Amino acid sequence: MNKYLLKFPIFLFIIVLLVFFYLLIIERNPSEIPSALLNKKIKNFESESLLKGEKFFSSNYIGKEIILVNFFASWCKPCRDEHIFIKKFADKNLKVIGINYKDNPEKAIKWLKKLGNPYSDIAIDNKGKIAINWGVYGIPETFIIDSKGVVKYRHVGPVTKKIYRKMNLLLKEIK
Amino acid sequence: MKKVFLILLSIILIQFNSDDSYSLEPDEILKNTKQEMRARNISKNIRCMVCQNQSIDESDAPLATDLRILIRDKIKNGKNDKEIYKFLSDRYGDFILLKPPLKLNTLALWFLPFVFLIIGFFISFFNNKKFNKILK
Repeated sequence: MNKYLLKFPIFLFIIVLLVFFYLLIIERNPSEIPSALLNKKIKNFESESLLKGEKFFSSNYIGKEIILVNFFASWCKPCRDEHIFIKKFADKNLKVIGINYKDNPEKAIKWLKKLGNPYSDIAIDNKGKIAINWGVYGIPETFIIDSKGVVKYRHVGPVTKKIYRKMNLLLKEIK
Repeated sequence: MKKVFLILLSIILIQFNSDDSYSLEPDEILKNTKQEMRARNISKNIRCMVCQNQSIDESDAPLATDLRILIRDKIKNGKNDKEIYKFLSDRYGDFILLKPPLKLNTLALWFLPFVFLIIGFFISFFNNKKFNKILK
């Protein structure tokens, strides 16, 4: 009995070690927090449109078709890095909605003129309230919303080649 | 030697006393002291999602400021603490709460330390020579 009991802590230690090792080698980013909104319907919101000079109603886009929602700002360097991929999504006839986070509207328009505009419409979020409602904690963040208005995917940080491929696969799956 | 000891002791005491360090801006503070106290208490329990190991009460991150203002707005609008916590965890998940709630998926987190403690207790108990002698 005693012999077995003595071996138990060693056994437990090995299990803990294996769990840690597994967590170390699997592909994951511990600082990335899964979205609490995943597989939930997103609430509609109103704002000003950056390009159209009129009110922005999210209900015009959310729940109508599959859309991509991208939080960005002209001051955000990673947003510039991912812009090429956001444009690729728009080129594939996917509706891309931008949310311009705490930005100077003039600078944002200039930025879009220089880099190209993949967005069908852009909502202004000058106080970051829309971002909080979407559980955003660091831009850029990109969401895939299905035709029922349900959040299917959220990516924190710039969309890279790898993420772009992953998102395309998911989009095919949803369609 | 005594001097060194006193310096070390004062450093330690300062560390223990640093509970009151916060990043609140003067214009954020509510005029109603009761409401302000509630806001401070909630802020201390909300994790800053940017820095992750600080509460929004201590953090200088812009998102922490936004959340502090949002909490104060909700208090002014008559929302109770539970509703405010729910609003935040609905959007950011339970991770935003510095004290994880007791739920089915957090049972291990809450009770495993006690389980390990009991196991450890039994192991040391059964390996105690005196105890074994009594058993014999």
